[in-house]
Amino acid sequence: MAGSRTKLALLLAPPLLLLVTFMLLPLLGLFRSSFFVGSGPIASGFSFEQYAKFLLDEYYLGVLAETIGIGLSSAVLSVLIGYPVGYSLARLPAEKRRRRLILVILPMTLSLVVVVFGWLVALGRNGLLNSILMGLGVIDSPGRFLFNRAAVLLVLVQQYLPFMILSVMSGVAQIDPVLEQAAANLRADRFTTFRRVILPLSIPGILSGFTLVFILSVSAFITPKLIGGSRVQMIGSLIYEQVLTVLNWPFSAAMSFVLLTLTLGLTALANTLLAVRFTADQGKKHASRRA
Amino acid sequence: MQAGARDKAMAVTGLILRASVYITLALPAVIVVISSFTAGESLRFPPEGFSLKWYKAAVNSEPFMTSLWVSVRLACISTVLSLLIGLPAAFALDRYAFRGKELFRTLALSPLVVPMVVLGLGLLQFMAWLGWNQTFWSLLTGHVLITLPYVVRTLTAGFFMFDKRLEQAAMNLRATPWTVLRRITLPLLAPSVISAGVFAFVASFGNITISVFLGFGGETTLPVQIFTYVEHSYDPILAAVSTLVIVVTLTVIAIVEKFSGMDNIV
Repeated sequence: MAGSRTKLALLLAPPLLLLVTFMLLPLLGLFRSSFFVGSGPIASGFSFEQYAKFLLDEYYLGVLAETIGIGLSSAVLSVLIGYPVGYSLARLPAEKRRRRLILVILPMTLSLVVVVFGWLVALGRNGLLNSILMGLGVIDSPGRFLFNRAAVLLVLVQQYLPFMILSVMSGVAQIDPVLEQAAANLRADRFTTFRRVILPLSIPGILSGFTLVFILSVSAFITPKLIGGSRVQMIGSLIYEQVLTVLNWPFSAAMSFVLLTLTLGLTALANTLLAVRFTADQGKKHASRRA
Repeated sequence: MQAGARDKAMAVTGLILRASVYITLALPAVIVVISSFTAGESLRFPPEGFSLKWYKAAVNSEPFMTSLWVSVRLACISTVLSLLIGLPAAFALDRYAFRGKELFRTLALSPLVVPMVVLGLGLLQFMAWLGWNQTFWSLLTGHVLITLPYVVRTLTAGFFMFDKRLEQAAMNLRATPWTVLRRITLPLLAPSVISAGVFAFVASFGNITISVFLGFGGETTLPVQIFTYVEHSYDPILAAVSTLVIVVTLTVIAIVEKFSGMDNIV
């Protein structure tokens, strides 16, 4: 058995070495530097001044609220739009699904900066939207569709919707279609079947998609910077500017941990919700077995 | 009767919604490609006329071509490294039972869910401390880290579907372990290794969120170059360069589609 232990250690060593050295250590270092005193790239000491600066300032709290608001809206919109798409994909025959999946996966794999650039052209002064609206005679002169919250939200939803679609799809694929037929035999219409059978069973998929889209949206910084301009500030773009322009690393570190707390908090919440549900289901199973 | 109407309304709404979702998902890429062929001097949609002059400009642009080369090199090397590190990880997750297995799985997949700004800043600071800042090494490390989750996820899925009875059958027929590996295990795993590699490649090639922290001042990747350019000026050369990125991504995706199909990856 000693041989297999050694083999296992050899297999685990390279990934562990990479993850510990280049992810955990840097994050620990970042955590430490969020307590530094001062505002340059190189600082030292120990204080809570960076966190105090963020959490006691109305402007920064406003940015935090804006970030959470955009993250929640983006996740909710993704559920509403992504659910029907994910559901239909899961129920499609494999051949048709393959082709549509390319359309879903492409935006995930294409460089973010190219996608954002595409939206700049679509929504810009001489862009697609203005051309259409002026062609239809809805407006006389080009309107401004960029640099506002709605545009940022649109682009974020477009980028992260595929994650929701895939998550719902894999959730729904595990629901036996026989359940739907059974409901139909019992004269439930499609809406009732959806509400009473399908929806409750797809909660895990929805929840994991929701968490993922929320995390990705609140962490965004390229999109708010290019699509939102100076009008829409999110915590990600604030960190980016503090790191690369202002060079205030300790303050950026503190903001990073505010952001990390936010994303970890939501993940923990989602996991707890799932765990509660799961144990409840297990309990029911036990009960029925005993009966 | 009322229920029937409700079902019909649901079906129609669903159809319209799905159509508009698929159109919107494809929209940015389609717009970029179409506007790259403009004959005009400015970016507008619909474009004016047709020409390839912005492609000529892109190919002759020193900064774009240098960074394209950096991106390709970086994506190739990090794909290989990521596969070399991810394969043993996925193998261990599939074939061994050990304490902390789920923790290890979470850790291996976590570079995907840690906000990239946070990871980027953390690595930037760490690299500065190591004295590796603004080097190819620091970019490479960052890219191996962020491509690892794709590799581990795709490979564990591949290992999971793998029918181990085939290996046992071969061994029953007195094949040596080496023959089993060469004739059974590797050929059967090849599709998932290819998909994993492709995903790592595309993730690295298109990445902006981590490169923007690790590459500034030193070597820049193509996405970072596009990002800096878009912040200052806005002309059709960007559409031409972006179309090149789209073509590379599409080609690579077509390869996975051919080898293993999209169904197996997600």
